[in-house]
Amino acid sequence: MANAASGMAVQDECKLKFLELKAKRNFRFITFKIQAQQVVVDKLGSPEETYDDFQATLPANECRYAVFDFDFTTDENCQKSKIFFIAWAPDTSKVREKMVYASSKDRFKRELDGIQVELQATDPSEMSFDIIKARAL
Amino acid sequence: MYGGDEVSAIVIDLGSHTCKAGYAGEDAPKAVFPSVVGSIDQMDADGDNENNDSKTSNNNVDSNKPKGKRRLYVGSQSLGFRRDHMELTAACLVQVLSPLKDGVVVDWEIVDSIWDHAFKECLLVDPTEHPMLLAEPSSNTQQQRERTAELMFEKYKVPALFLAKNAVLTSFASGRATSVVVDSGGGSTTVAPVHDGYVLQKAVSTSPVGGEFLTDCLMKSLESKGIVIKPRYSFKRKEIQPGVFQTVDIDFPNTTESYKLYSKRVIASDIKECVCRAPDTPYDESAYSNIPMTPYELPDGQTIEIGADRFKIPDVLFNPSLALTIPGMDSFAEISPSVRGLPQMVIDSINRCDVDIRKELFGSILLAGGTASMQQLKERLEKDLLEESPQAARVKVLASGNATERRFRGQYIGISWFIPANVVFQVRFVHLTGMKSMELLTYKENALKMRPMGCISCHCMRSVSAP
Repeated sequence: MANAASGMAVQDECKLKFLELKAKRNFRFITFKIQAQQVVVDKLGSPEETYDDFQATLPANECRYAVFDFDFTTDENCQKSKIFFIAWAPDTSKVREKMVYASSKDRFKRELDGIQVELQATDPSEMSFDIIKARAL
Repeated sequence: MYGGDEVSAIVIDLGSHTCKAGYAGEDAPKAVFPSVVGSIDQMDADGDNENNDSKTSNNNVDSNKPKGKRRLYVGSQSLGFRRDHMELTAACLVQVLSPLKDGVVVDWEIVDSIWDHAFKECLLVDPTEHPMLLAEPSSNTQQQRERTAELMFEKYKVPALFLAKNAVLTSFASGRATSVVVDSGGGSTTVAPVHDGYVLQKAVSTSPVGGEFLTDCLMKSLESKGIVIKPRYSFKRKEIQPGVFQTVDIDFPNTTESYKLYSKRVIASDIKECVCRAPDTPYDESAYSNIPMTPYELPDGQTIEIGADRFKIPDVLFNPSLALTIPGMDSFAEISPSVRGLPQMVIDSINRCDVDIRKELFGSILLAGGTASMQQLKERLEKDLLEESPQAARVKVLASGNATERRFRGQYIGISWFIPANVVFQVRFVHLTGMKSMELLTYKENALKMRPMGCISCHCMRSVSAP
């Protein structure tokens, strides 16, 4: 089914902003939403914002895609960063929304080149800071 | 808002136990009826007694006979009415003892009659006017798909058709493209890992232990305790004085065994749904010997008390060999060594997947199907998996809120929202020119005239060619 993508288009801005996040590190995170049959940029987070700020921007009953640039220090005291892709689909969101987001995810993810870790979450516990840290290492 | 709304597609999910049909974009099916069909052989309707025949042998007789010689009765209403010599046949062979055939169609005439019933009696629609979406079991073969397409196009002349896998729909409906779907339905239990919207075929495992099997276990167990379940047709009950009822047995010598069994199963499955719940720990005869009894009133007025069976029957899902301790389930002994419990099935399935995705799979195990709506089943499965999974894995079992929702959610809601969710789904339908291999080319123009979109599942034919 994934080979037949759901037909959602991806606005160029999504790719551009993602490139900025990746190369220039202008943003800490970007959230995307599907609107009028295409994926558009929803919110942008400045580099000073934290993971908590990021979590607060995800709506409690709507689906979103998100990209988060995670800075951390490895056991060898080495500064590193990894780019996370998060598919946010809370239980309380509409079934239609979940279907749209789940079936368009693969297509959208392929547009964003350079994602290192991917996770899907249906409630905040599935994307807690500990999990992010564990996945990054 | 979304163009997909105007499509008005019809959605059918033909399960091994019940058939669900309705319109795309609705949360609940418009029609739900048994996937079992009653048939009366027109040849032997006058005379000889079929009662001695078992269901199996009659199935064989039926398939040997030329078509059109039997009369079929579909739907809850016509099945609720007892008829002389009416044999019941399931579209998908639900016989507990043939795991290989579970969930997969064996009798197409019956499927045809079920679809027909859904269109003409339940939904009152003309199939030539609506695109059709069908949910198919993960284990469906190429032949099955071709046959489905053939019947849908040639007989019902549908303008467009899409087949989607149950497991994928369940997964999408909960917003996940990667998950393990545990679908415990009427006829069988299937565990299917889905990754990025694809079912990982090699890792799919099935077992014949489903709702019907549990119902049979319960029935046999009650019978061994001397409880007689009387089918509703076999007695009359009337109020002779206020509050006092009299039950009179009626004898119908021409009722077939299969109908009797079906009617008893209807009652037994209601008992099961009312009183059973999965035990928190593996069932243990001594620990459960003096738990309080739960009363249940049978249709004929007698009240039965159910004790340990409340927990023992559901535990068969987790430990199938438990079924062997129930008197009368001896026939299960042949296949029981190959049948594994639910937690083992899940772990085996995940272990057959790529190492990289195992962790993610453990974290999103989805429950679907009627049997999965059993009380406490989710908690028990989660607990068992936690004990047996690798330490690093974070186990999470997900099921939607209420039982009714869970029953349909898996496939039905998934498939129902599939089309509205996929706005330009024309793109997703493989163009008809891909159908040459199936000699359905004649329908190409026909179908294209009616609707600009093509048809048929992309899994069915690999060759995608633009017009």
